[in-house]
Amino acid sequence: MTSRPEHLPERLALLSDVQAAEYISTGLLEGRDDVPSIALNKVAEPLPGDDARLQLHRVRDLIDHVLDRFRDERPTAADAWLAPRLHETLRLTRREAAEKRLWTYLALGVAPDYVVWRHLSEPRADGSHGRVARDRFVGPHYKQTFARLWWAAELFRDGPDYRPVVVACANQDMLNSALRLDVIDHRPTALALVRLMERGVVRTGREVNGLTPAVNAAAATLMYDVLAPDVERDGQALRDWIEGAESSLPTPRNNLPEGPEEERAPEEAVERLVGHFEELFADAQVRGRTPVESE
Amino acid sequence: MRVYPYPRLTGAVTVRVTAVRLRGPGDTREQLDSRGYSVIEQVVALGRAERDDWQTARLALTATIPAREIETKGHWSDVMAVAVLAEGATNTRTVARLEPDAAGGRDWTGEIELDRDNYVDRASLAVHVVATVGGIAGRIIASTDQEWLIDVTADAPLRDRQLEVSTVSFARGAEWLRSFRDAPWIVDTAGRMPTVRLNSDFEGLVALVESQGSKVESVVGEMVLAQMCADVWTAVFHTAIGDLEIEDDGTPLFPSDWRGAVLREMLPDIVPGRSVEDALREVHIRRAGQGSWADLQPRIQYAAARRAEVPKALAAAVRDIERLDQETHA
Repeated sequence: MTSRPEHLPERLALLSDVQAAEYISTGLLEGRDDVPSIALNKVAEPLPGDDARLQLHRVRDLIDHVLDRFRDERPTAADAWLAPRLHETLRLTRREAAEKRLWTYLALGVAPDYVVWRHLSEPRADGSHGRVARDRFVGPHYKQTFARLWWAAELFRDGPDYRPVVVACANQDMLNSALRLDVIDHRPTALALVRLMERGVVRTGREVNGLTPAVNAAAATLMYDVLAPDVERDGQALRDWIEGAESSLPTPRNNLPEGPEEERAPEEAVERLVGHFEELFADAQVRGRTPVESE
Repeated sequence: MRVYPYPRLTGAVTVRVTAVRLRGPGDTREQLDSRGYSVIEQVVALGRAERDDWQTARLALTATIPAREIETKGHWSDVMAVAVLAEGATNTRTVARLEPDAAGGRDWTGEIELDRDNYVDRASLAVHVVATVGGIAGRIIASTDQEWLIDVTADAPLRDRQLEVSTVSFARGAEWLRSFRDAPWIVDTAGRMPTVRLNSDFEGLVALVESQGSKVESVVGEMVLAQMCADVWTAVFHTAIGDLEIEDDGTPLFPSDWRGAVLREMLPDIVPGRSVEDALREVHIRRAGQGSWADLQPRIQYAAARRAEVPKALAAAVRDIERLDQETHA
């Protein structure tokens, strides 16, 4: 199996797609090869400054822990544990998180062993090797191993509260299908979806996959932002939290960490959408398929 | 065209940005110079700000909605106008309600705030008119046709973007450039915007493309530029088509960034006579190995050369050389 990089510099860095392409070999995708870490760090571009947030070992410690903690479990179970803790450790703004090169570096320079452990498919019946999809190393935010966890934590957290993130990440279908939809950029919508799972209204992957497209399609004619208004986001809370990284302790391993002290989504807004989505879902089930686009 | 199961406005909804106020640390304030936004281009260029450390930008907006149609048709109640600022790359969406200047008036005004930490490149700004229709609240009954673009880094309010050209030494530059040390230029499509990197080690190249030399040099320079441009178009097309998101039913989607713009621009030349959606599907199928990908190459070259104006540059060069010849023989 692909192992922990031998050379780990002090600080996180950026790696472009072109640079990454050289290192994403078939051997790596099949989990047989390591990433040549010294050569990789020669081409990567280290991040400037001496922010504590960008110390590499903070992330690597977390990876070492998660690999050990979940070694006897299904790798998918690690998502719900890692997502909030990765988010709390990195403390990025969305502007910073939109930098794909950072995620590519995390996957190749910091934790290729984790990417392989988490995303290697089972070997096929015909004896061919299992494989990691390339987009787990370099891919869109809803596919790339670490971007996907970070964005799940960012979009499903309720201010400082990461509990909804844990619920969302516990269901792979929710994580995979909701993350690529624009509707969850509206926080009460994201939280309402989580609540439907918590209450057992939607349980199976099939049900989740029936609900999320229905919610998305309805947003073409209904404005959730008006039906269920969120509070205005205060950027200062996030900035304070990012500054606090200098003096922060390592993210807690057993308890959930806490995110920035932003105001939570209004309860009545979330509940209103829960009721609305329940109806949509019942409708989708009655028809035995997802609703047509117009409703 | 989409069909809606409820009545919508037929009149146009428009919006314009009327002022931009920036705020920075320590409550510093700045009013963005009016050349920082363009009503014609519908672009705000926040990179024009005097101070580089601004944190938030407040955009003052005026939307015009067909008030008379709302009144005469009478299908709608609880009418409101909502501005939405959104960016795909940062999954950020900010919403603000506008208020009518006068009861039943056409102009609605308000402000929307952009927090710099939440946006990386270009946010789109749209206004939607929302109302209760047939007992259902929150229906979108009209939206602006063209969105405004709020560019957080650009210093000129232009919709079309200029290609970035940077001059670097390939031999002494970043490690990955060293393997291209003999190349005059390469097109780097990995970033948020494609970039041409000119090799400063290639003697005379920079002067040539900047056309600072003699008549002969400028003739050649124009040709080189056209050739470089064609390389860029070919490279960006291949990058865009190679990185498509595919729906579950196999339908390829247009990317939201420059990749999508490139495809929409070039596909009509590559698969003529078809809608861009059909053309995208066709090209994607061929590239995925069902159908001939090789047959498509001349069309891609043609589309790239056309955009780079290679034929025009070449014709001009031939003419200029003739003229230079005549001058030397005269």
